[in-house]
Order: sequence, then structure tokens, then C-alpha cells
Amino acid sequence: MASYHGNTHSSEPAKMEQIITEFFAKSLHIILESRCPYVSSRNYSGEQVLSSPSPSSSSSSSSSFRPRDKWFNLALRDCPAALENIDFWRQSNLEPMIVDVVLVQKPNDWDPFNFSSKRGLTRNLSGKERYCYGSDNDEFGCEGKSEKIIERWVLQYESKKSGGNGGCSSGSKRSSTSSHALYKKSILLLRSLYATVRLLPAYKLFRDIISSAQIRLYNLGHRVSSFVEPFTHREEADMQRFVFTPVDTSCGRLCLSVLYRSSVLDVSSEPTTPISPQFIPEYVGSPMAEPLKRFPSGPVSQSSPSSSPFGRRHSWSYDLYRASPPSVYPSPSPTYSESHASITKQHLHRLPPAGLPRHLHDEPPHMKNPSYDEYWPSPTFSLSPSPSPPTYSPGSHISKALLRSESAPVSIPASRLSSISSLPNNQVMLPSPPMKATRLTISKQDAHASSTVDKLFPFSKGETGKISMVKASSNSSPSKSYSRSSSRLSFQDDYDDSEFSGPFVVDDDDMMDPDGQKSRLAVICPALYAFRNFMHHTLLVVQDDSRRVLINCRLRRLNIERCIEVLIFINLTFSQPLLVDVTRPGSIALPGNASTPHEPVKKSQDAAVGALVRTLKKAPPLRQDISLTTQLVHNSKLETLTNTNEVSLNVESSSSVLVASKTTTDALEELRGYRAMKELLLKQDKLSQE
Amino acid sequence: MNCEVCQLKELDVEHFEIREVLRCILHTILFHRALGLVRPKDIDLELFEITYVQCGDVELERKIEEKIDQFIDRVEKHPNKKNQICLSFYEVKNKQAAWFNKVERLYWEHWYINLNVAQHPKGHSSKFHHSKLVIGPGDSAAEARSSRRAALEASLRDVLFQIIRFVNEKKDHVPPIPNHEGVSSPYEITISSSSDSAFGMDMFKRMLQTGHPSMLS
Repeated sequence: MASYHGNTHSSEPAKMEQIITEFFAKSLHIILESRCPYVSSRNYSGEQVLSSPSPSSSSSSSSSFRPRDKWFNLALRDCPAALENIDFWRQSNLEPMIVDVVLVQKPNDWDPFNFSSKRGLTRNLSGKERYCYGSDNDEFGCEGKSEKIIERWVLQYESKKSGGNGGCSSGSKRSSTSSHALYKKSILLLRSLYATVRLLPAYKLFRDIISSAQIRLYNLGHRVSSFVEPFTHREEADMQRFVFTPVDTSCGRLCLSVLYRSSVLDVSSEPTTPISPQFIPEYVGSPMAEPLKRFPSGPVSQSSPSSSPFGRRHSWSYDLYRASPPSVYPSPSPTYSESHASITKQHLHRLPPAGLPRHLHDEPPHMKNPSYDEYWPSPTFSLSPSPSPPTYSPGSHISKALLRSESAPVSIPASRLSSISSLPNNQVMLPSPPMKATRLTISKQDAHASSTVDKLFPFSKGETGKISMVKASSNSSPSKSYSRSSSRLSFQDDYDDSEFSGPFVVDDDDMMDPDGQKSRLAVICPALYAFRNFMHHTLLVVQDDSRRVLINCRLRRLNIERCIEVLIFINLTFSQPLLVDVTRPGSIALPGNASTPHEPVKKSQDAAVGALVRTLKKAPPLRQDISLTTQLVHNSKLETLTNTNEVSLNVESSSSVLVASKTTTDALEELRGYRAMKELLLKQDKLSQE
Repeated sequence: MNCEVCQLKELDVEHFEIREVLRCILHTILFHRALGLVRPKDIDLELFEITYVQCGDVELERKIEEKIDQFIDRVEKHPNKKNQICLSFYEVKNKQAAWFNKVERLYWEHWYINLNVAQHPKGHSSKFHHSKLVIGPGDSAAEARSSRRAALEASLRDVLFQIIRFVNEKKDHVPPIPNHEGVSSPYEITISSSSDSAFGMDMFKRMLQTGHPSMLS
């Protein structure tokens, strides 16, 4: 009780101010911790909590509390985004803090012929959505992406104007004015905030995103600012408000409220359509999917048209561990400064050009074909535009990585890789913790020494010529469009068309089309390709080292830049490079779009997933020279993956990871290669559009 | 110091749901009353899409489980009664002037959790708290069950918000942050089951037993 009426000594106002400041920080931390998918509570430090039954039993674990935890007696998990933002905010003088939680979403029933598809209509009208049109300000240049603010948290310290500084301390008539009381009430308020954020609808989205490797059509981002454009009445009408009871202080009051959209759940339910988690494992583990096959080194006839999009380049192997750094390290990102713009400015296409092989510039003229757009309403490959760029947006990671590779290659986290590899149990890869059905851990044992640059990234080593294969020379004959002269680019010719009878059905007409419309091959993940068949864009959630990397692949406009972005990221994420023909219009099955007779119309997503899984199983392994050890737990589809030759599939042996063999140099090489490739494709693109 | 009372909305639960519902509610309340340093633990309910927060204290968790066991036991023994759990917080005062030289509990808050346990979880599926739900004879029981479940989930969510609102609105009566080691200020969980009519009486009796004037204020 003493503390109630406690000491109103001189430092009281200062204490109060400190409490208020810390209150802001803690509130932000609480909010972002449960909204910012990157630092998922489950995956990050939360693991410790979950693993040890009683982390905070007062005596034992108290040692583990950090000073920050002691504030308001609430120990929180790390949340880099919150820390950055709060640092920024601290410089302002107790300005209001507005935290917008943004749902970034792709309409999954995108209809090229009718922009405003049903869902798009209903949703788009209701919310505060912005469409990005690929301008420079749009980090990912994706159209049709909708951002909707689903929660707006407003923290505010309303100071009494009359009081003035001197007046603040003088009060102390009531207990509520003492710093002790303020502190106690702040604790209470923060406790209820903590519980509340978990009860609001957005939390479900957050959990969905972090909980499994399911494909999501959405992502969550956040913006922190001190001023926001207020909602319109209509927007606000869609939202509910929860106002926490303000805490009075001697010279003001601390207010916290949230406007939230209660309909978020509808939004989530659709895209949540669980795309069976297994498929990602299988995809990633594609080495197991199919024996290492030698692919025909010459142009391949249309005999295996459908397979072409899934052909992968063997030489493109990318180290999985490479991929993980971006995701593993929630590298503090430029979030805050950009929070107003809500967009990361890092664009891959802004990267300085790298040397381009000339021979790649010959581009199929098919781009002129008007029908192109018809089939490819949304031809842009873009990465996740998630507004909270720092932590999990692949785009920023990629771009960072690339940028780094230029100036400071050393910063490529090779060392981190090794540290990761030292993790027990190989949990490095795609552990997808909450995934119940499948748990996959892939570790790669790179049997080759560190100097395997050629193998790792043969691309950069004078093999760029092979790329020309990628871009495919379909001008003359349809079959050519899939041809790859290099063995590395070959695809399996033993594909059975029946395998793709699902959403992946390829139009024979298109395949045969002599004008070679579909000649352009972009390098891209087959999964993306497949997805395109039933969604035109997708948020590919990949779990990587128990963190999630989100790929937002929007297959909209055929934009080579975007393709490359995706490609690079894919390669960073998965160990294998993948080839996809992005120019085959017929290969897209537009839901509800019957205009293309050969397209499967309205395939259910399940069917699509099934087909995708089949496809992935069939996908040729990429690397022949590097043994992959895949740890696959509970994978019911294991039997289909049996005929792996050089790739060993086992459950436990993967502990001896040899990732360390990759050096920074390797990584740099790879990045350079990618850049070069990107430039190539860009040029190609330009040519094609002329 | 006044004593605040919060009567939580009654929930219609089936037997197998008791444990989760009680855990969720009790832990949520205790999390708001555990003003010591805690490292919160998110817990997902298995039956409902609800995540609640525990303060991660083993002792506290153990005590809650124990009380839940008692409660379930009680429900089984007295299936026809309404059941109530009361979570009370108090401060310990050594009253020198007391006639008995005993430690006195100064209650400052009571939470009443009201559960209405369905008596025939399997047989009478028609006993839903949503009366509009009329189940046809051969109607899909699964559907009914799921809608009942959804209704309970919504109600449980409401209760959690009720707790949060209460915590928000009533802060003055909460004693200062404990300096001692305990995560939470002292609390007790009592179980009572009674017929509807005796409900209030039971409460009143207990208040008399505890004997502190603040109870009546």
C-alpha cells in the first residue's frame, strides 16, 4: 500500500515520462510480436518457452530475463521490427503512435478479362486498399495486390494542456497520479493488451502464416507512424473498435485503442485452403522426387510439352543454406524509415547491370502477339509486397543480398550457414514446426570442397550460354520453345501427359503454336508455375530454418524482372533451380474462365494441389553432383520418391551437414551469376517487347 | 480497499469441454492478476480456435489443474447442479488487534465462473444454448455439434473479452505490485455447486465465512 501514496519526490515527472515512453515501446512490441510473421512466437525464442515447461517459474528462470523484460514485468520475445520502430519513435517526443496491421492479399480468383472479380469487388470496395502498379515506388511491382488495413492500433498520450510541466508533479492528490500507480495500471493495461491481440481476428491470420508451410494468398505487414490518414466513414463502418480504458496520470492520460476488422476471418478462410503441406517438402526435396535423370541435350520435341515447364536446370543448384540466411536473420531492416511509404525501395532491377552475354538477346517475337496479354492478364512475377519489408519480405532480402554481394561480399552470411549447420537434428531446413502432416528437413551435404563454384553456380562460369537455352528459341518451331541445348536445361521427356491432366493441362494448341508464343522460358520454380494454374498469384510460404520465408509470386505480367526476382529467391530458398516456361499462355488455367477451350476450367484447388504434387514428384532433380540428404518425416508420399539414385533419403543421417563448404566467395559467385542472368533476361525482355 | 466482483457469463459446456474452458478462463484471469515478472506462454485451445495466455508459472498451473480436477469430480458427483468456480484474490494482513491471532485475508476481487454442464453430452444433442437450434431426428449430429461448438467458442471469446474489459475498467482496487517472489498475488479457487435458487445464498454464506467487511462493501 505504501507505494500507492509513495514518494512524490522531484523525479516523479521524469519517472512518469519514462514509464510512458516504455509503455509505448512495450505496447508496440506486444502488437508486432503477434502480428509480424517473421518473428513468430512459435518459431523464434518461443521455442524455448515451449520446450521448457516452466520458463518463468519465478526463481529458476529469472536469470534469463533481460532488462527490457523487467519493464512492466512482462518478458516478451524478440521482435526486431518492434525494436527498430521504437527506436525511431523514441526520437519523437511522445507523439502518438499508430500501428497499422496490413493484410496484403492477392485475389486468388483473378480474372484477366474482368478485373473486378467477385471477390475483388466485394473486398476491394470495403477496405482501405491500395493497388500498386509496379511503379518505382512499388517494391514488387505487383498489380492487383491489395493491402487492407485490418487493425489500427492507436497509442496516445494526451497531456493536459493546462498543466504544463510544473503542474504535473504537483498533483499527487489521487493515487492514480503517482508513478507507482501509473506503473501498476500500465502493467494491467499491457496484460490486457497482450491477451487482446491474441483474441482479435488478425491473430488467426498471423498464426496461419507462421504455423505451417501452407500456401497463403496473403501476408501481414505493419506500418508504424505518428500520423495516418484517417479512415473514411465507410471504412470505419466495417471496423470495430476496442478501447482500452485510459490510464490517467497527473498530467495527462495514456490511451490505447484498436480499430479492427472483424471480417478478417472470411478473408483468411478462403486462401487458407490448405494446400497440403507435403507438397512443399516434396518440391524442395525434389531430388528425391525423381531419380537423377539425364536430360536430352538437344532441343526436345513437343513430345513432352507439359513437362517443359518443370524442367530444371541441374547446374543451378543452390545451396539451401544459402537461402536461409535472409530468413534466419531477421536482419533489421529499413522498416521504419520506410514505414510511411510502406514499401521497400529495394528493387532488384535497380541493381547495377552486370555483364550480359550477347547471345542471349535474341528474343522470340512472340511478345508482340496481342493474344499474349489475353492469356496473361497478370504477367508480373513479383515478390511479396509485404509492407513490413524488413523481416520477412523476400524481396528485400534478396535485394539486400545482391547489394551486399556487390559492395561487401563478405557479408553474405556464409558463417551463419555453418552455424546453422551445426544445429542438431538438421532443423535447419524447412522444419515447418507446426506442420502436423509433414515435417521435412533437408540438409545438404555438399560433398565437394569449397571450390565448387562451378558446380554450384556454373552459370557464372562461362556457362551463361546455357541461359540462352532458358530463354528458348521458339521462334521457328513450337517444339523449340522448350528446347534446351544444354543438358542442364533439359527436361524429362518421359513425362506422361496424363500426369498433368489436372489444372496443369497444357493446351496442345499452344504447344503446337508455330508462332512460338510461349517460347519464352523464364526460370522459375515449377511450383510457381503450377500455382499459376489455379491461382494467378500466390503467396508461397516456405519454412526455412523454422522461420518462414514468404514468396509472393504473382504471375501477372510477363515481366522478366519479376521472374528473376522470384527466381533468385526461389534459388535462395530451395536448393534447386527450376525452370518454368512463363510464356505459354495456355498453361494457365484461369478459374472460371472458359474462354480458352483447352484449359481446365474451375479446377478445384485440391485438384490443383494434387497435380502440383504430382508434378513436383516428377520434377527432375537438379543436382547431380551434390548429395542431398533429406529428412522427411511422416511423409505419406514417400513411396513415390523412392527411385533416387545419388540422392539419399533418410531420416537421421542428415546431421552431418557439410554446408560449411560453401564460402562467401561461392555465394558471391552465385549472386553474380544471378545478376547476370537477370540482366540477360531483362534485355531479352526488352527485345521482345519491341 | 473495496472488493470487486465479476460474474462471468454462463457457459454451456459439455463434460469434455470443461477442462479446456476452465483452463482458458482461469489462466486468463490469473495472467491479468499476476503482476510479477512473467514470461507469457501462449496456449492454443484444442477444441476452439482460441489462444489464451498463461503466465508460465508451474505452481500456478498445477494449482489450476488441481482445481479443475476437483471441479470435474464435483460435476460428476452432482450432475444436476449448476456449478460455479470462484477465483478470489486477497491480501494477507496480520491483524494485531484481532481476537484470534490469525492471519486475515483481505479479499479484493472475486471472479465467478459459471458453467452449465450438459448432462447428457451424447444423448440429448438438443440441449443447446442456442434454442433456435432444433435438430431434426435424423439430422446430422455432426453439424449440430459443430454449430454448438462454434457457439460455445463465441461465448468463450466473449467471456475472455469480459475479463479484459473488467481488468481495464477496474484498476484502482488492485493492490500494488507485489514485491515478493510470487508471480501473482495470493489467490484461492473455490468450487461450489448448487441448485439455481441456492446460488446466491451460497455466495452469501461464503462471504460471511470469509468475514471481511470489504466483501460487503
